[in-house]
Amino acid sequence: MSTHHPDEVMLMEYSAGTLSEPMALCIKLHVDQCSRCRSHLDMLNSLGAVMMENAQAKSQVSDNLFDSIMNRIDQEDGTSVRQTPESPTRRLNPLAKMLGRELDELPWKRQLGDVSVCDISNHFCTGERVTLQKLVAGGRAPSHRHSGTETTLVLHGAFADSNGVFEAGDIVVLDQKHDHRPVALHGEDCYTLSVLTAPVRLTGRFTRLLNPFIR
Amino acid sequence: MSVIQLHNTATTKGQSVTPLKESSRRTERSKDHWSQLLERVGHNQDREAYHQLFEHFGPQIKYYAMSNGLAHLAEELVQEVMISIWRRATLYDWRKAAASTWIFTIARNQRIDMLRKQKRSSAEMGLETEDLWQIPGDGEDDPLPSLHRIIAERRIRDSFRQLPEEQVTVLAKVYMEHKSHQIVANEMGIPLGTVKSRVRLALNKLKVILQDQDL
Repeated sequence: MSTHHPDEVMLMEYSAGTLSEPMALCIKLHVDQCSRCRSHLDMLNSLGAVMMENAQAKSQVSDNLFDSIMNRIDQEDGTSVRQTPESPTRRLNPLAKMLGRELDELPWKRQLGDVSVCDISNHFCTGERVTLQKLVAGGRAPSHRHSGTETTLVLHGAFADSNGVFEAGDIVVLDQKHDHRPVALHGEDCYTLSVLTAPVRLTGRFTRLLNPFIR
Repeated sequence: MSVIQLHNTATTKGQSVTPLKESSRRTERSKDHWSQLLERVGHNQDREAYHQLFEHFGPQIKYYAMSNGLAHLAEELVQEVMISIWRRATLYDWRKAAASTWIFTIARNQRIDMLRKQKRSSAEMGLETEDLWQIPGDGEDDPLPSLHRIIAERRIRDSFRQLPEEQVTVLAKVYMEHKSHQIVANEMGIPLGTVKSRVRLALNKLKVILQDQDL
């Protein structure tokens, strides 16, 4: 059970379908593990239905629209596209499906000391920087600060910083106000997924590169 | 643990939910009119029931498309959503979501799908929209038969009418026009904090955001 959740505003944008794909991925991975947010999401979806129903002006649909829908259904029913309860769509974890392999098989690039990074931005076309990070067990990332907003989801393991302890499924949003040094816990590597809307500024003596562990 | 488990969160674990036959008369009564129609479509491919759903939801979906910049594709969206309802009706479980909530999530996803196809991003990502935005009851392994979802939807519908106009406006911009809270703030010329506090006030009033002890 997660203890660090997306705020209601972010969850609402997810429910409304407004969030970008990388952000939606973070929320989906969180919600899959968090019954509290699942319950909130159910209600936000109901709010969406009520919004749709209460819209000021409803639009007339064309007279022949229903007929063309039925025509399509009659054509397609021959090819049996209806889904059956016996074969519900099984859904993999979306990150696993997208990557097509396990996290420890990815082409990690070692960065500063304890941190490795894998940039997966090219899976999306949203312009955000999307990265996976690995902080080795007991390892420490350099102190840094953000010049944009970064949303991070813990995939595996756990880390701690001055804001608390973050475990699998936890989500944390940090912006330029935060300056921190995450440490991996529990004697195992910590893997995270981050969506960054602007580059990070290092505050320690490392200034030459952006380190994505760096949330 | 050395192997990173990515596959264990969102898969169907095969818990069976109580068959509809065993539902008590009391819970049968809590099923709303649209959910009953949807079940008739799912069980019997009932075209008359399907037509009633179209008459009710078709104009809503069309307006939904028109509010968020898909005016030229509005009827196409209605058509895609209706076809999807026909195909998926067998999977519909009224205990997972009221019909209107279920249809809202399908409309939301079809809209996202349409935009993604324009950008061709689904092919690059290898993910379908529904991997990121789940339809209630689809591959869901939540064993709780959630009558509270149905009750919550009614409560939201009833208390929605009491919301002040300024709160409804913000919710409508997020849900119907697909604007982020930041864009809503820019557009209305008010601070982001004010937008967020209006949202929180509304969600509290609708009891969409529960305190942890309520769960």
